Amino acid sequence: MNYSADFLNLSGTEHQELAAQRAINHKGDFLNLLKHANYPLKIELPPEAARHAADVEIAHSTTVIAVLYRDGVMIAGDRRATAGTSVIYDRAEKVLQIDRHSVLAISGSPAIAYEIARILEHSFQYFRRSQLQELSLEGKLRMLSRLIRENLSMALQGIGGVIPIFALYDLNAIEDGNGGKIFFYDALGAHFENVDFATTGSGSIWIRGVLRYLSRFGETALHEMDQRQAAITILRLLDIASEYDAATSGYNAKVKIFPTVKTVTRTGVNTVSDDDLTDWYAEAQPEAGTV
Amino acid sequence: MRDEPYRWIEALQDRRDYIEDELRLGSPVVGVIYNEGMMLLTVGKGQRKIFEVHDRIALSAIGHPADIERLRMLVTDTASVQGFQNATEDINLHRLTNYTLAPAFKQAFESIVGEAYIIKMLLAELGSASGKSQFTGINFDGIVRTDPSFAVIGGTETIETGMQKYLTAAKMDADRDLTAAFRLALETWAIGKELSSREPEETESEDTQLDTTQMYEIIDTAREEGEIEVGVLEASQQGTNKFRLLTSQEIEEALQ
Repeated sequence: MNYSADFLNLSGTEHQELAAQRAINHKGDFLNLLKHANYPLKIELPPEAARHAADVEIAHSTTVIAVLYRDGVMIAGDRRATAGTSVIYDRAEKVLQIDRHSVLAISGSPAIAYEIARILEHSFQYFRRSQLQELSLEGKLRMLSRLIRENLSMALQGIGGVIPIFALYDLNAIEDGNGGKIFFYDALGAHFENVDFATTGSGSIWIRGVLRYLSRFGETALHEMDQRQAAITILRLLDIASEYDAATSGYNAKVKIFPTVKTVTRTGVNTVSDDDLTDWYAEAQPEAGTV
Repeated sequence: MRDEPYRWIEALQDRRDYIEDELRLGSPVVGVIYNEGMMLLTVGKGQRKIFEVHDRIALSAIGHPADIERLRMLVTDTASVQGFQNATEDINLHRLTNYTLAPAFKQAFESIVGEAYIIKMLLAELGSASGKSQFTGINFDGIVRTDPSFAVIGGTETIETGMQKYLTAAKMDADRDLTAAFRLALETWAIGKELSSREPEETESEDTQLDTTQMYEIIDTAREEGEIEVGVLEASQQGTNKFRLLTSQEIEEALQ
């Protein structure tokens, strides 16, 4: 060790090294920061394990729906998680708030989906805290694309595919215009803006046509519906999905487990209360005597 | 030189004098509690001085902008990574101060051939189920002071004592509303500003004898070339994130 220029061995070099390390400016990039902190972002499977990966029964399947209504976006998901033909959980939350004005609805492998949602939430916060400004709408969309793309190898192995819907409210929308926006992603991370609605998950095929019909020929167009009308429509659609898709749950009257329903409006993200859902569920039911 | 420890002590004293001299003119920061949470206030000259570190933690500092930025990033990065790896509830100011910030301050100060941080930092943590609200001040030499109800940072100890006296006389109570807390903090800032503008020989005394009119004159002059900046940690804020900056409209209203 070189003591030539120091007092009591406090050369300062160690500190300077540390300071240099700390001076790495991540420019608000949370993924980069996690990599530097040696956080494992990917689960690396050895090739021989990957070959069997598709045989493993992983919890997935779902129905999530987002519709553009008068005040913004309403987004809902059923509560069932399944593995193969088994129902493993009946209270899963598939609609997750990411920040004050955005929500992610997930379908696919829940372990990866929750991780993506968590990284996304922390990324937006980290950007705001470190760069002293909100991440732009386009920036938020790209971040989610990047996370989905990072997960591609898992998706290809058949165990970690995630197809989310990302709904947010654009505060820069003109005052009286509707700032609600719905984005749909594919497994490679491309995003597409849906104008009226989006639905994904195993039950979505049963209701996509109905949504299309409602948006084009319905008595009240989806985007003109108020909160109550939109909620009743969504509850009915989830009911239909649960009728045909074993991996989607309906309303469980015995224990009062409702679908998760959230709204994203100018004032922020709001979770529709169980009391409102109870009332609206009663209205959503067909009249007695109908099949 | 290892054989001459007194030279090391002398060098530290030189360094202390140098840093204090650099800090003397810095715009003070005042932290007070109010009925909804905690507030940090200063009057800046364009550069932002009050920052969000984590859900319940805010930071402010006086000193060299590059040092403030570097240490702000250090604590923000640390809190962000730890909050992600564990849970955001696991982040607390005590650990961030004692294991991350204070050692870095002390090491930089005592490594006398390396660069020193020209900084004084004031952090606020809004209490939760696991702990009480507290202000934490960190001096450039790594000395940490905490206080549950108010705290100040200013260029010299005399400036800080003068401001603390005013706050003590005003009696801190948690029932004060946002506007009252804002005015108290702003008046305290004016005292700090007055003390820092005196010549070093005059600053032996921390008494200013300022009346309210004089305080607001000082504030008005400062506002001509700068802006009042207020960050609050509000318990009533929806969601886990409690920090926000007051808007210029809110500040104007509170000044009426």
